[in-house]
Amino acid sequence: MNKRTQAMTSSFVAAVLVALSCLMLPGSIRAQTFDFDRLEKDARQYTVIIDMKIEFSFGMQSNEHEQRLIGTLVSEDGLVMFDGGFLSESNPLSPMSSFSFRADPTTIEITTLEDEKFDAEYVGVDRQTGLGFIRITDAGDRRFTPVEFVTGRQFKLGEWLAVFMLLPEFVTPPTAADVGMVSTLVTSPEEFALTVGFNSLEMASVLFDEDMRPVGVLGTLTDPSSSDSDPGGLMESMGQFALPLLGVITGERLDKLIADPPQKGKTDRAWLGITLQALTEDIAGFLNMDTPGGIIVNEVVNGSPASASGLQVGDVLYEINNQQIEVNREEELVVFQRRIADMGAGTSVEFSILRPVDETIDTITLLAVLEAAPLAASDAPEYENDHLEFKSRDLVFADYVRFNVEQGGLNGVVVSELKQGGLAYIGGLHLGDIIQRVDGSDITSVDELSASMALLESERPEEIIFFIWRFNKTLFVNVKTDWN
Amino acid sequence: MSKVLLITGLILSLAGSPSAQVNDLQEKIFSARDKVLPALVHIQPVIKDYRTGELKKQAVIGSGVIFHPDGYVVTNYHVAGKAERIICTLNSKEQVPATYIGGDPPTDIAVLRLELDEYEGEIAVADLGDSDALQVGQMVLAMGSPLSLSRSVSSGVVSTKDRYFSSDYRLPSGEETGRYNLWVQTDAAINPGNSGGPLVDLAGRVIGINSRATFLANNLGFAIPINIVKEVTAAILSEGKVARSWIGVYAQALQELEDYFGAGRERGVLISSIDPGSPAEESFLKAGDVVLEIDGQPVSARFVEELPAFYRSIASRPPGTDINLKVLRNDEEFSLPVKTRPLGELQGEDFECSDWGFTVKAITRHMQIQNQLRDTLGVFVTGVKRVGAADLAGLRRGDVVLNVNKEHVPGFAYFTSRYGELAAGDSEKILLTLMRGGAKRLVVLTVDGQEQDGEGEPSNE
Repeated sequence: MNKRTQAMTSSFVAAVLVALSCLMLPGSIRAQTFDFDRLEKDARQYTVIIDMKIEFSFGMQSNEHEQRLIGTLVSEDGLVMFDGGFLSESNPLSPMSSFSFRADPTTIEITTLEDEKFDAEYVGVDRQTGLGFIRITDAGDRRFTPVEFVTGRQFKLGEWLAVFMLLPEFVTPPTAADVGMVSTLVTSPEEFALTVGFNSLEMASVLFDEDMRPVGVLGTLTDPSSSDSDPGGLMESMGQFALPLLGVITGERLDKLIADPPQKGKTDRAWLGITLQALTEDIAGFLNMDTPGGIIVNEVVNGSPASASGLQVGDVLYEINNQQIEVNREEELVVFQRRIADMGAGTSVEFSILRPVDETIDTITLLAVLEAAPLAASDAPEYENDHLEFKSRDLVFADYVRFNVEQGGLNGVVVSELKQGGLAYIGGLHLGDIIQRVDGSDITSVDELSASMALLESERPEEIIFFIWRFNKTLFVNVKTDWN
Repeated sequence: MSKVLLITGLILSLAGSPSAQVNDLQEKIFSARDKVLPALVHIQPVIKDYRTGELKKQAVIGSGVIFHPDGYVVTNYHVAGKAERIICTLNSKEQVPATYIGGDPPTDIAVLRLELDEYEGEIAVADLGDSDALQVGQMVLAMGSPLSLSRSVSSGVVSTKDRYFSSDYRLPSGEETGRYNLWVQTDAAINPGNSGGPLVDLAGRVIGINSRATFLANNLGFAIPINIVKEVTAAILSEGKVARSWIGVYAQALQELEDYFGAGRERGVLISSIDPGSPAEESFLKAGDVVLEIDGQPVSARFVEELPAFYRSIASRPPGTDINLKVLRNDEEFSLPVKTRPLGELQGEDFECSDWGFTVKAITRHMQIQNQLRDTLGVFVTGVKRVGAADLAGLRRGDVVLNVNKEHVPGFAYFTSRYGELAAGDSEKILLTLMRGGAKRLVVLTVDGQEQDGEGEPSNE
């Protein structure tokens, strides 16, 4: 290429770039073009206002609050979705801690924007998105017009989105529009369209594109940085303490949740039963593996699908159902965990694994049949004793991990709440104590505790002797009763 | 006139009598002071602290008292137990070096020997009294170096002679302490720096070693009774340490529970917890059993204040002794033989991995039980230095290092020698397998080899 053609080529390239930038600029600087009147008309049909009474309790303290939230009708029979990120089940501490912070809805009232009022019951919260679900209970044959999310949509950097936010109660009308912009398209740890211009008060509000289509709801990108030591995938939302990155929870994900909404006390997540870790470049070097990405099996839970499939400690998962597992960083583990969780119990999954044997590495294919994940502490069956003023719950898998005992190596029920000044508190029970015997009867579940306590209440003894496990010791606790 | 004389005489006699008593008391205080103060020692150890993830040498201040003509000084374990070198200042204001002879974390007692080769003066030796003969309200003097103010004397009374503290209390070096003794409580001012100093009666005899004070409270000080100190120092002088028997039981006061367990009043000791893998567990002793006799001798712990004596009655037997327990279980009495084992070290040896930015401890059986570990394999991470290689890799205090570069770490000796080899080599990356709670995890340390020592500010013990 001579100098002249080179110069011509350069000027041509420059001209094309200018032309391209001219084409692009109007798009990125133009104002949004929402038809808000029409948008509001559409949104009115499925937007509701939720008045929820919530009992908050933390260990020994509890009190009731009233919360006003925006909700969206997502089914004809009255299923409503809302921001449930503040409720117990989505609390990042609750799965692992016996000192759980609890926020449980007690009564729920729903008002449509046409001023129709309904009662509703709590269904559950999805811990990954923080989206809560409630169901209208007194609608009779009334059919609602639910929102229908667009799926398969590709988001673009710079495109505008709109939401309706809930205004404080003293203002009429109750909602106002707001706009925001897609600020980047995150690819890792998972695909997520990040937005600017919205605020966390608008969480779970329906997002509309400029064609007036509901494209998702406002949610957060979870920081999965603390997912490491968690065999059940229970801890993945620990990173929520960081400032939330707001963006779009897409229609695909919402449709799945709406079709099978999470139910309090029921685990719908599947699990494999391993402690897992990303195969980073550093660790791969030590294991003589040149695989780009994978998952190291650090522990296999006895009796879990992983153990039944023959998976062993030290194996590296590199393919799932013939698709490569591209996990190079810890942050990307959550995608794998969610994928397993979403598959549902009973699903058969084929894993290709690398197994170091002496100096060589074997490649093996294993078949695992997923099972329902163990309950989180906040979902565990609970028992409340009004006389002694304490609550306790069943032991869950996470307790065995926390206390470093074999599963089933510890029996009893966990003291999960204790009213300050109550008889149990005065008698010397502590939060987190594991009640193993009550007046000589062995206790292995809250049902047994409930039966033992019912019997004792009919006998009205002056004192009840609890035998408890407190971290690494056992002791007897004498709780004096007061039947008058 | 005679009336006036009579009244005046009465006044004089009333005024004269208390004054004589005060003078008498003052004389007693002077006399007690003169008997013990010359034997008082101001102790300045430089101790090794591994808790921040690196070896930090710290100058601390404590007190002690010479109790033996060969220059032996008794002080607290928490003052001198981790000392690298010790300087003592005698009451003559002369400084002499001292050697650490031995210590006993369960009672927080340590013995030093003054290096008197180059000291030209005479040393004084304090008399040790009888703490069992103490009376509540009896006047006492505390001597020592509160806040480094050496040769200080404060006064008060014995507030309580049988104060009980749970043995959940830990020394700064991690050991459970106070299981085998009660405490003499006093309102004589005791401050940081008084630790290890004598509590003295008005006859000038040491009746306790001041060890603890309650912060945010006034005049609540606690001394280890001298009768316990005598036993411990005698064992340290003859054996270098106190050898105790262990069967692995915890007991609980029966008072609140005796109706339930059917034991008669003032009879028996309720076993509340059995350590896993202990002689008690192997002999099938169970939580809820009431021990009525040990080798035919009745035992009882109706109140918490009686618990230390029960623990001592087992611990004081030579390790390996067969003891016979008479046990009450579900209204049945039977005999249960238990063979004791040595109590062993409560905490393991410390080690600094300076290149890797963390410190570790050998895992003893007690650490295994305390920290709810499944075995004593590996080493226990005691501290992680901020912004060091281990910190950046995500290591945390309480982790157990199971493997180094995929090689299994059976224990402390293996770990330290492997560390030595790797630190001397040019490995830039080290793979550690950790156990955290019940979950295993791999971390890679990226080592840059730039480390420096820190020197802490002096503090009072």
